[in-house]
Amino acid sequence: MKNKKIFSGNYFKEFGTAVAKGDIWVKLSMLIMGAGYIARKQIINGLIMIALEAVFIITYVFYAAPNLAKFGTLGTVQFEQVFDPLTLTSKVNDYDNSFLILLNSIIALFIIVSFIFVYIGNIKAVYRLQKQKEAGKHINSFREDIKALFNEKFHITLLTLPALGIILMNIIPILVLIAIAFTNYDQQHMPPSALFTWVGWKNFKQLFTNSTTLTFGYSFGKILIWTLEWAVLSTLTTFIGGILMAQFINSKKTKLPKLWRTLFMVAIAVPQFVTLLLVRNFFADSGIVNTICSNIGLTDFLKSVGLVNANLTYIPFLTNPTWAKVMIVLINIWVGVPYQMLIATGVLMNIPVDQLESARIDGANSFQIFWKITMPYVLFITGPSLITDFVRNINNFNVIYLLTQDVYVTSDQLLANSNAKEVDLLVTWLFRLTNEYYNYKIASVIGIIVFIICAGFTLITFTQTIKGSREEDFR
Amino acid sequence: MKKTVGFVVRHLVLTFLVIIWLVPILWLVVTSFSGYKGINTAHFFPETWSLDNYKVLFLQPDSVVQYGAWFKNTLLIAIFTCIVSTAFVLMVSYAMSCLRFKGRKGLMSFGIVLNMFPGVLSMIAVYFVMKSLGLTNSHLGMIIVYSAGSGLGYLITKGFMDTISTSLREAAWLEGASEATIFFKIIIPLSQPIIVYTIINSFLVPWGDFVLAKLMLNSGIATDWTIAIGLFNMLGKSLINKYFSIFCAGGVIVSIPISALFVLMQKFYVEGVTGGSVKG
Amino acid sequence: MKKKVLAALLATSMVAASLVGCGNSGNEAGGASSADNSTAADTTTDNTAAADNTAADNSAATDTAAADTSADNSAASSDDPVANLIAATTDTVKLTVWASEEDQALTTQLLEDFKAAYPDVTFDITLGSESESTAKDTILADVEAAADVFSFADDQINELVQAGALQPVAATYTLDVANENVAGSVEAATVNGTLYAYPMTADNGYFMFYDASVFSDEDVKSLDKMVEVAEAAGKKIAMDVSNGWYIYAFFQGAGYELTMNEDGSNNCTWNAAGATDVAQAIMDLYGTNVLVDMSDEEMATAIAEGTIAAAVNGTWRAETASDAWGENYSATKLPTFNVAGKDCQMSSYSGYKLVGVNPYSANIGWSMLLAEFLTGETAQTARFEARGLGPSNVAAASSDAVQADPAIAALAAQAAYATPQRVGGNFWAPAETLGQILADGSAGSDLQSVLDTAVEGIMAPIE
Repeated sequence: MKNKKIFSGNYFKEFGTAVAKGDIWVKLSMLIMGAGYIARKQIINGLIMIALEAVFIITYVFYAAPNLAKFGTLGTVQFEQVFDPLTLTSKVNDYDNSFLILLNSIIALFIIVSFIFVYIGNIKAVYRLQKQKEAGKHINSFREDIKALFNEKFHITLLTLPALGIILMNIIPILVLIAIAFTNYDQQHMPPSALFTWVGWKNFKQLFTNSTTLTFGYSFGKILIWTLEWAVLSTLTTFIGGILMAQFINSKKTKLPKLWRTLFMVAIAVPQFVTLLLVRNFFADSGIVNTICSNIGLTDFLKSVGLVNANLTYIPFLTNPTWAKVMIVLINIWVGVPYQMLIATGVLMNIPVDQLESARIDGANSFQIFWKITMPYVLFITGPSLITDFVRNINNFNVIYLLTQDVYVTSDQLLANSNAKEVDLLVTWLFRLTNEYYNYKIASVIGIIVFIICAGFTLITFTQTIKGSREEDFR
Repeated sequence: MKKTVGFVVRHLVLTFLVIIWLVPILWLVVTSFSGYKGINTAHFFPETWSLDNYKVLFLQPDSVVQYGAWFKNTLLIAIFTCIVSTAFVLMVSYAMSCLRFKGRKGLMSFGIVLNMFPGVLSMIAVYFVMKSLGLTNSHLGMIIVYSAGSGLGYLITKGFMDTISTSLREAAWLEGASEATIFFKIIIPLSQPIIVYTIINSFLVPWGDFVLAKLMLNSGIATDWTIAIGLFNMLGKSLINKYFSIFCAGGVIVSIPISALFVLMQKFYVEGVTGGSVKG
Repeated sequence: MKKKVLAALLATSMVAASLVGCGNSGNEAGGASSADNSTAADTTTDNTAAADNTAADNSAATDTAAADTSADNSAASSDDPVANLIAATTDTVKLTVWASEEDQALTTQLLEDFKAAYPDVTFDITLGSESESTAKDTILADVEAAADVFSFADDQINELVQAGALQPVAATYTLDVANENVAGSVEAATVNGTLYAYPMTADNGYFMFYDASVFSDEDVKSLDKMVEVAEAAGKKIAMDVSNGWYIYAFFQGAGYELTMNEDGSNNCTWNAAGATDVAQAIMDLYGTNVLVDMSDEEMATAIAEGTIAAAVNGTWRAETASDAWGENYSATKLPTFNVAGKDCQMSSYSGYKLVGVNPYSANIGWSMLLAEFLTGETAQTARFEARGLGPSNVAAASSDAVQADPAIAALAAQAAYATPQRVGGNFWAPAETLGQILADGSAGSDLQSVLDTAVEGIMAPIE
C-alpha cells in the first residue's frame, strides 16, 4: 500500500543492497521471480510468484502494451462502417474508442506500478531469506506464512478485499475523470463514434474566463457561493434543530417522549427520493399548497406585502430563485432534523449529570444551562461529524436535484448560457452537464475543484484526530 | 397554574411540529388511496377513494408498474449489499482501529480524502469499468457497485472501536489468541450497536439510489429495475398524470420494511451513531 | 474480395436501394466488373438517400432481378437481399427493441406479427421500455448498450446522428420509406441529405386545444381575441412558453429565424431589428394573467380541473382534453398574435416520432427489417387504432377514421405553418430562460439586451 515512507530513500536503498549483495538465487529472482523462494524450499511461495510473473507478462503484452501505445493520442482510427445493402450486413473497421483506451491505460498503469512494487518487494524478501539462511535462522514454512496472515499480518488479510473494491470503484474512476479534465471529451467528441484527445489546461482556463458566450466563469462563481451558503445553512439548521427537538422531547416535562419521537421518525422511514418528489409536487406552482394558500388568501397577502411578484397568481415556492432557496433549506430541515434528533438524543443521554446539577444549584435557568452546558458538550462530541455533514451537504445531490429538476427555470440569462441554475450546487450542475449536455470535460474540472474544496475541509479537521494521539486517549 | 399552562403550551408546540412533519406523509398516504390517477391539486383529500393503486402494484402489473419484481430485485440487492458492505466496513475499521502497521495513518487520510470525491461524476467511469467486466444490467453488478467501495466509510465504526478498551484485547493476547480470534470473538460482539448502524445504512442504499441504478440497469426492461428507478420513472413527463397516485402507493409500501427496520433497531442505531461520533 | 470492392462502392454512393430496387445492374451485383458498377453508381449519385427510385413494389422488382441473374451467378445466393439474409441466418437472431411505456402492448403484438412474417428464422426479441422523449439520454450514455431498434422523438435526431447512434437508411426492402410517408416526416428523418430513421407517427407537433363552449370558431383565430374571451369567462389559456420548443412559435411566426449550422451550433436572428416587439407581445399576453405559462404535467391537471379552457399542446393531451370538455372538445391550428399592430400567424415545430436502428447492432439487417415492419402501413394503422396516434404513412393517414380525429385534423391545419426541428443543443437553456423572464415579467424594460444575451447563448460556438 502506498505510504509516504515507502518513497523515502531507504526503500530503494534496501533494494539496491539486495541486488548488490544478493547471491545467485537473489539475482536469478530478478529474472524468474520465484527462484529465491524455491532455493530456500519455500516451493509454494515460489510457484505463486512465478505464476504472478507469468500473468503479468501476458497482461502486459496483450492488454497493457496495446492500450498504452495509444495513450498519447487516445486513438487515431475513427469509427467507419460500410453497409452492404445486398446482404444486409455491415462491416465495421477496427476503430479506436478513446474512452476505453483511457480507461484501460489507467488500469494498465495501475497494474504496472503495482507489479513494480511487488517486484521490488520480492527481491527484498528473497534477500532477507538469504540472510536468514546465512544466519541459520528459521525460515517460515508455507503453513506458517498463512498463519501469520491471521496474526501479525492480519491487516493484509483484512484490507485486501476492501482495497480491491476501492481501487475498482473509486480510485480508477477518479483517475479516469481527472484525466478527462485534460481532454476535449464532450458532445462533439463522444466515443465510440468520435475520438477525443488531450488539450492540456484549456478546460481549466475556460472555467475561469468570462465572455458573454462562455459564461462558465460567471456561473462557477455564483454556484460556488450558493453551494457554500447552502452547506453552512443546511448543516447548522438541521444540527441546531435536531438538538432543540431532542431536548424538547427528552425533557421531563414532556409526556410520552417515545411516541413523539416515533411520530417524527415516520418522516425518515419514507425513502428520501419519495418524500422529495412528493414535496416537489406538493409545492408546485399549481399544486395543492398553492390552492390552499390562495383559498385562505395567503397568496394575496404575500402579494400585497411584495413577497410575491404582483404578476403571479401563485406563490412560486420552487420556481423563484429566492423562494426556492428558502424552501429548499426549509425542506431540508424537514428531511434532516429527525435524523439529527435521533443522534442528539443519544448524545444527550450521556451528558454528565453532575455538571447539570451543579449549574442548577448555582441558580442557572434551563435556557442558560442549554447554552452554557448542553450545547458545548454536544458540540464537543459531535463536532467532527458536523464537518462530515458539511462536506456531505456540499455534495447533497438528492435534495437539490429532486426538488428542482424539470421544475426550476433560471431567470438569469448568463447562468442559462452555461446550463446552470441559481439553485444548483456544483454537483448538480456537473451532473446536468454530463447527463444532459455530455460536457464531460468541464464537468470533470468542476468535479476536481469540488474534490479539492471538500478534501481541504476534511483534512483540516481530521488531521487532528488521525495524526494526534487522541485515538489512545479514551481507552 | 403556571405549570399547567407550560405543559399545555409545550404539547401544543409539539403537536404543531408533528403536524408539519406529518402533513406531506399524510398526503402521500391519502393520495395512494385516491381514485384519481393524476396529481390532485384542488383538494387535499381525494374525492373518490379506491384500492386500485395497490391492486395495480401487486396484482395487475402493467408495462410501467412491475412492483413485485422491483421489490424482489431491490430486496435481493439490498441484502447482499448489506452483507458485503458491513463485512468490508468492519474489516477496514478493525485494521485501522486495533492493528498497528506501517502506513496506517497515511492510508486513513487517503481514505477520507478519497471519500470526498463527488460520486455522480465518477459514475460514468464506474459504468464503463463494470461494462468491461460484463456486469451491467445484472444484479451482481449492482451489488458490487454499491458495496465495493464501502470500505471507505470506516470512520464512524472505527471511532466506535477506538472506545473499546485495549485491556480486553491484551488479555486475549496473553492467552494466545490470534488477531483473527480477537476480531471475531471480542471486537465483533462488542460492536453490536455500530454493526446495526452499518447494516441499516448499507441496507438503505439500494432503496434510495436512482441515478447510478438507472445508468447501470439500462436495458429498458422494467422487470430488471429496482424500486427507485421504477418509482422515479412513473413521475416522467408522459406518465405522471396517469401514475402519480400509484407512485404514492409504491412509496407507502417501500416505507413499511424500512420503518420496521428503524423501529426494531432504533436503540442500537442511536447507540451506534453516538458511540462512533464521539471520535468522529 | 469482390464483395469488398462492391461494398466500398456502395458506401461512396448511397444508391444501394436503386441497384436492388430497379434491378438495373442487378447481375453485376453478384460481382462482375467493378467499372460497370461505378458507372451505375455515378449516374445515380444525385439521388438522395431516400432512394427515390426504389420501386413501390419492391419484392416484385427483386423477384425479377433474382430470376434474371440466377443463371450467371455461381454463388448460391439469389439477388433478393431479404432471401439472402434469411438464407444466411442460421443462429437465433437476438434483438432488443425499445418502445415507449404506452406502446408496450401494441409493440408486443407487432413483434409477434414480425416473427410470423419470417417463419424460417428463430427470433429472440426483447422489448424494453424507454420514453420517446428521453430516449436520447439513455442511448447517448452508451450507444453500444442501447437497443437495436428504438423509437424517439424527431427533436433528438441531430444529437443522435452527431453521436453516430443512427444507422443510415441506405436501402429499403419491404417498405418504401421515402414515398410511403408524408414528406414532412421524411424531411424530419433526414439530416444533411441522408435518411437516418423510419417515420412512425406524424403527431408530435403542437396546436391549440379549446373548449368550444367558451370559444367560438371565430375567436380561436386570434390569440388576443381568445385572451379577451377567456378573461370574460373567468378561464385561462395555457402555453408553456418557458420552453424553447414552444417559444419558437412566436419568434418564428413573426419571421425571425433560428437555424442550425453543420457543426451543431445555431444561427438566430431573434435579436434583429423589431424583435423586441415580439418579446413585448409575449410580455403583454402573459401580463394579462389569462394566458399562463404552465408545464405539460401541470396543464394536464389544470385541464382536468376545469381552470383552463384552451391550451397549446400536442396529441398526447388529447385524451385529457376530450375527457374534460366532452363534446365541446375541439382542436385547431395555432392562432395569430399581434406584434406591434400586425397579426402574425404563430408557427410551430412539426413533430414526428421516428424509429431508428443502432449502427452497433449485431444484427443490422434484421434490425432494419424490423424497423420497416414497425413503421409500415399496417403497423401505423394499428397504432392509430390502439392509441390514436396520427400516422405518418400516407395510406394510413388517409383513412376516414384518422381524418375525423380533431387533434390530427388540427395538426394537419397547422402543418402549413410548421417547420421541422433543426436546432443545436445550445438553444434550449437560453430559450427556456428567455420564455421564463418574458412570462413572469421580470425581463425589465431593456428587451433588446435581454434578446441579445439570449441570442448570444443560443449562438454560442461549439468547440
